[in-house]
Amino acid sequence: MPRPGHSQKLVCALATVALLLTSASPAFAGKELAGRWVLRITIPEAPGSTVTRTFNVTLDVSPRGASLHGRANMTDEAGRTVGAAWRQTGKSVSITYELPCPGDGPCGTLILQGKVKDGGILIKKGSVIVMWDTINDRNPALYDTSTGTFRGDRISE
Amino acid sequence: MRKYTKLVALGVIFFAVTISSIGSSTARSQTERSLAGEWIVTSKPINGQMASPKGVSLGFPDRDMIFEQQGDLRTGIVLREDVGANVHPLGVWRIDGDLFSSTFQLWCPDSNGPCGSIVMRGNFVNDDKIRGTMTAFFNLNDDNTPTGYDTWTFSFVGNRVGGGSN
Repeated sequence: MPRPGHSQKLVCALATVALLLTSASPAFAGKELAGRWVLRITIPEAPGSTVTRTFNVTLDVSPRGASLHGRANMTDEAGRTVGAAWRQTGKSVSITYELPCPGDGPCGTLILQGKVKDGGILIKKGSVIVMWDTINDRNPALYDTSTGTFRGDRISE
Repeated sequence: MRKYTKLVALGVIFFAVTISSIGSSTARSQTERSLAGEWIVTSKPINGQMASPKGVSLGFPDRDMIFEQQGDLRTGIVLREDVGANVHPLGVWRIDGDLFSSTFQLWCPDSNGPCGSIVMRGNFVNDDKIRGTMTAFFNLNDDNTPTGYDTWTFSFVGNRVGGGSN
């Protein structure tokens, strides 16, 4: 049975730890991919094309909780919404999704990689891998691939 | 005159068969498959490539995958009980007739090791069987690939749990 003085010290120590944890959490959470983002993505128009297209998508990120992965919804400028999956280690984030393809152009899969900066509100100079639907036996991916860039700005929490 | 009648008859038959085959092909393409459900996916190396050019491998375990669809939201999850009860890599998918594409994030608990993403491309053999290739893009630089990332491919076959192909 601890003495009253000892007990007071213990309570004080626990309160300090709790305070530190509470104040530390928002700082950590601030760098986590969270909230609503606008991603500005630039990729080639088609496999092998040197002409690029730039488009915006809105990313609504679902919290991942204790998991290494999280889900998100990706909405394009035409209002089409598809799912996305993301993971994050430190500041480095990776987001994958399938392009919503209305059938009037080449389709593919996008892998976006970048670093969440400025306290969790900016992804600058992110890179994009596009894996198109067209088979290419000479490509190590077995399909045509392209690269692109993206930038992300958080617009709300 | 009889020759002419035969020619016309042959023409009519040819036209009818052509129209009929176009009709059935259109009907087939309108019956879209769905990945929704649970699948056991078995993968194997292509041309003996057991690992990526940079030496990364995922092994070739059977993967228990569950795909779901709610409207246009098509999601996927891999149950990796062989690794841990809470190991659930997440992904998404889309479909176009018999062809499908899916992408998943790799599960990387070791933040110091390489990680990456998977893209599955395949087709339906029938409603309960799929096959195709998986491409892994690891976050390791590789100047020999068009993307600049270490890239590894392997093939897979999937059977729907409870389906007729098991």
